[in-house]
Amino acid sequence: MTAVLEARGLSVRRGARLVVVDVSLVLAPGEAVALIGPNAAGKSTLVRALAGLLPPSAGEVRLRGRSLKDCGRDAVARAIALVAPDEAAPATLTVAERTRLGRYPHRGPLWPFTAEDDAAVARALERSGVATLAGRPLATLSAGERQLAALARGLAQEPAILLLDEPAAHLDIGHQLRLFRVLDEVRREGVGVLAVVHDLPRAAAWAERLVLLAGGRVMAEGPPATVLAGPAAGEAFDVAIRAEHLAGRPVYLFDEKPSPRG
Amino acid sequence: MSAARRRRVLVGLALALPVAMLGAASAGSVPLPFFGVLGSLLHGTGLGAGAPLPPPSETILWVVRLPRVLLAAVVGGGLAVVGATLQSVFRNPLADSGLLGVGAGAALGAVAAVRLGWAGSTFLALPFAAFAGAMTAVLVLYALSQALGGGTLHELLLTGISVSALAAAGTSMLLVATEEFRVKTVLFWLAGGLDGRGWMHLRIASILILGGGATLLAAARVLDVLSLGDEEAAALGLPVHFARLVLLALAALVAGAATAAAGSIPFVGLVAPHALRPLAGALGRHLLPAAFLAGALLVVLADLATRVISQNVDLPLGSVTAFVGAPYFLLALRQSETRR
Repeated sequence: MTAVLEARGLSVRRGARLVVVDVSLVLAPGEAVALIGPNAAGKSTLVRALAGLLPPSAGEVRLRGRSLKDCGRDAVARAIALVAPDEAAPATLTVAERTRLGRYPHRGPLWPFTAEDDAAVARALERSGVATLAGRPLATLSAGERQLAALARGLAQEPAILLLDEPAAHLDIGHQLRLFRVLDEVRREGVGVLAVVHDLPRAAAWAERLVLLAGGRVMAEGPPATVLAGPAAGEAFDVAIRAEHLAGRPVYLFDEKPSPRG
Repeated sequence: MSAARRRRVLVGLALALPVAMLGAASAGSVPLPFFGVLGSLLHGTGLGAGAPLPPPSETILWVVRLPRVLLAAVVGGGLAVVGATLQSVFRNPLADSGLLGVGAGAALGAVAAVRLGWAGSTFLALPFAAFAGAMTAVLVLYALSQALGGGTLHELLLTGISVSALAAAGTSMLLVATEEFRVKTVLFWLAGGLDGRGWMHLRIASILILGGGATLLAAARVLDVLSLGDEEAAALGLPVHFARLVLLALAALVAGAATAAAGSIPFVGLVAPHALRPLAGALGRHLLPAAFLAGALLVVLADLATRVISQNVDLPLGSVTAFVGAPYFLLALRQSETRR
């Protein structure tokens, strides 16, 4: 399995602070990786650096074996889609219009959109479950619907790599399940998917591989059961993690660690 | 936003504008017959059967009224396009060249050109000095809003106020140092107005404003991507800072040309795109043409009002748009406050 996206000894600064420290990881085509870690672990920063939005202070990110900085903006945007909680999109922009802007990397500022773009947009809207909201201005959507609209834009890019920063944050359980099913669908088509997931049981249920980030460093990496059962996870979140099995599926239980001063 | 409604809005504006322009060409201290004006226009442009007006009226129409009304439309449309662009670039629905100090910067540049005597001696010196002033203001504004991390409406407006105040202070200093016989001219010009503007002004302003506006329209998709926010725009492969600078330069060019031609005409750039956004949609290729037509309509009507309200004195055009625009701005500001 060759890596489509790879970080080698990646360190990223935000201001004076080193937020990501010497991270190496690979993402293969069709792979589902969940990036987990406590608050302020550097997850969002790492995802943005992987998308080429933040320059490395050391190390590099490689896209299909080539350093991102040699790839060119357009090529990177065609290969990597980043879906992050959006705060800025104009209130009167419709879901369909926002999704269509996902075709920008393919057409640039001047070329007119084609039937191919229309088809990609229609597919993305359908898949994300927001086709019925296509004509609605963003301001009229719930937080969860906005999140699905952001996903639709990412899918419309038809990337080789889909990076998501907390894609399920505002979604109810039904929409969460739908979201992760959609991620599985695109993954089966060969897209490498890496998502920051806060909900550990959800991350464990969905991902093939967990990457545990704490203090900007990768503390553990591997199959969900291994990572969550290992000492690093409990230490990173400062909790005790226990796995039980229910109906043949692992169920994780989390307990606060007793404080040393009792 | 349904395509049908968008089309209705656009067609409505496209029909209303020529009617308003005809009305504006008819009204004034010497009233001309509405259909007589239409006939003379058809005759003069060779578009259809019509007859010229009797001699003095014909001269008034073609030498005084027509260039003035056309200039009002071009300037108004240009200011609206600038407003729409600034609103997208700063991701702020209440951005406007007047409020952000771009107009004040253009005025400073133009007054400097008058003070130094370039305006009279060098062809195009006035519009280019106004452009340089507008561009400087826009760059200062952009640099400040970046340095202050300026995302919010308040930060941007307050930064705009300080840029405006700085430019106005410079203008005042220049005015004090200007020979008395020029001061009145400059003051009248600063108050905004279209008195005595002829075909030459129209030609220069049209080339710059329509050229800049058409370029902005061609690059409308960049505006759209930019309006998604820096991060998403960059993730879509847009060179964010470069794109912003190019768009701001184009906006400054148009704002400078409009200010050079007609002085300060506040609030048009705010009102026209802001009012049209819910009707025409947020995409640049829909919003810019609609905003252009609405801004043109607004200034043609405002200029008409300056001539109709008082028969004795021509009211300053900038005052008329401010009387309409300032309450609108306050209402819109209130609305945006209650929404959050």
